[in-house]
Amino acid sequence: MARDSAIPPESFEEILAWLNADRDVAAVMYVQLRHDLAKLFMWGRCGDPEGLTDEAFDRVAKKIHEVRPTYEGDPRLYFRAVANNLIKENHKKVKTHVPLEDVDLPDRQTTEIDEEIAADMEECLQLCLQKLGANKRELILAYYAKEKQAKIDHRNELAQKFGITVETLRVRVFRIRESLAECIERCLKRKAQGK
Amino acid sequence: MKEELLTDALLREFLLGKVGDAERERLEGLFLTDSEARERVLVVEQELIEDYLEDNLTTEDRENFLLRYGQTSEQQQQLRISKAIKDWALRENARIQPVSVGLSGWSRLLATMRLRPFFVIPIAVTMVIAIVCLAVWLNSRMTRTAIAEELAQLNTPASLRETPEKMSGLQLSPGAVRGMEKELVLKRADLTGLVELTLLWVQKEHYPTYRAEIRRLTGDEPFTILNLQPDQDGIRLRLPARILSRGQYQVLLTGIDANGVAGTTEEYLFTLES
Repeated sequence: MARDSAIPPESFEEILAWLNADRDVAAVMYVQLRHDLAKLFMWGRCGDPEGLTDEAFDRVAKKIHEVRPTYEGDPRLYFRAVANNLIKENHKKVKTHVPLEDVDLPDRQTTEIDEEIAADMEECLQLCLQKLGANKRELILAYYAKEKQAKIDHRNELAQKFGITVETLRVRVFRIRESLAECIERCLKRKAQGK
Repeated sequence: MKEELLTDALLREFLLGKVGDAERERLEGLFLTDSEARERVLVVEQELIEDYLEDNLTTEDRENFLLRYGQTSEQQQQLRISKAIKDWALRENARIQPVSVGLSGWSRLLATMRLRPFFVIPIAVTMVIAIVCLAVWLNSRMTRTAIAEELAQLNTPASLRETPEKMSGLQLSPGAVRGMEKELVLKRADLTGLVELTLLWVQKEHYPTYRAEIRRLTGDEPFTILNLQPDQDGIRLRLPARILSRGQYQVLLTGIDANGVAGTTEEYLFTLES
């Protein structure tokens, strides 16, 4: 679970100033850095990526006055180093991993999403697909038309049709899918809060 | 970004925790500091999730995957969302597909009605033509969709802040001002990569955003680009050179006020020669 970070305002301002001289740019970088650090914790098999991200920012905030004047290079790499230490500490604390049989897997393997969750998901999906706009919706639809081996040829053909490389197509679909997933997530959160 | 050092295979290994510490450090650093590398990692991650949902991972990879992507309730929710999107797409595609296999149903109907061959042949030909037309129409629609997408992406404020390597810049005055000036004529061969049109706005009324419609004056449907923001030189509009072909082009630029209401429109013209 994410916890409330207690970074003093002056340290927070200094973190922003360290990330970029332009405060607006720095604010965007800050949000992205939070997201990216959470990813590092997830890839590092930590159970609470959001909480550890808060912890990483707290640690940097405590040291920023002494580190910033002498640190050379991209400050985000300093955050990476702090995150790396936290991952190691986390692994020491949690000596054993959760056994696979205890992991609550998504529905394909073990669990059945209960009907209410499934209904919410479907409702949010439809709502967000509407918001997405016809062009993007059609692209997603075409991109995911096939599965397994068949999808490789299909996506090559699709890229050819659009006159773009498969790489460009992948990135384009990724961006649309990201915004769709974020919309669904926000919608599910709103629904959960309303219950 | 050094493309050759960042292959899909390597990124998959990285995401499954199968690379050494030094490589992991390098990739994490790139992920945090290089936006292009970051996006590539996330694209490969999305495909890894897709492979998991399609049960395409080896047992070992599946275990590694679940240790990273299936532990917390948030992660499980992400997987459910991915699955919901995929399932929707497969469902919709399956629903749409019967249109293209309508012939067999029709054949059965004909058989039931016992139509004679001289009726069947023209009907079959008509249906084949209809299907070909539908395919051509769908193809052109998808191409248009892709171009519209690309134009929208090229003209976001963030994209316009970047300066691509291959870009030709052109300044266009509106028809009313140009008046006596000669119309701008460009050589197709001179344009590669992107073309950036700077549209001068000479009206007294200024707007927070503008809408541009560009089309070739030979009956082509226009492409509309929304939310263009003015800067000190005018309103910039970027186009991929490859979508431009010989002919006269018209750009209609309309000011949009803070309430989203369309205001004054200016017309800009240029001609492309082979």
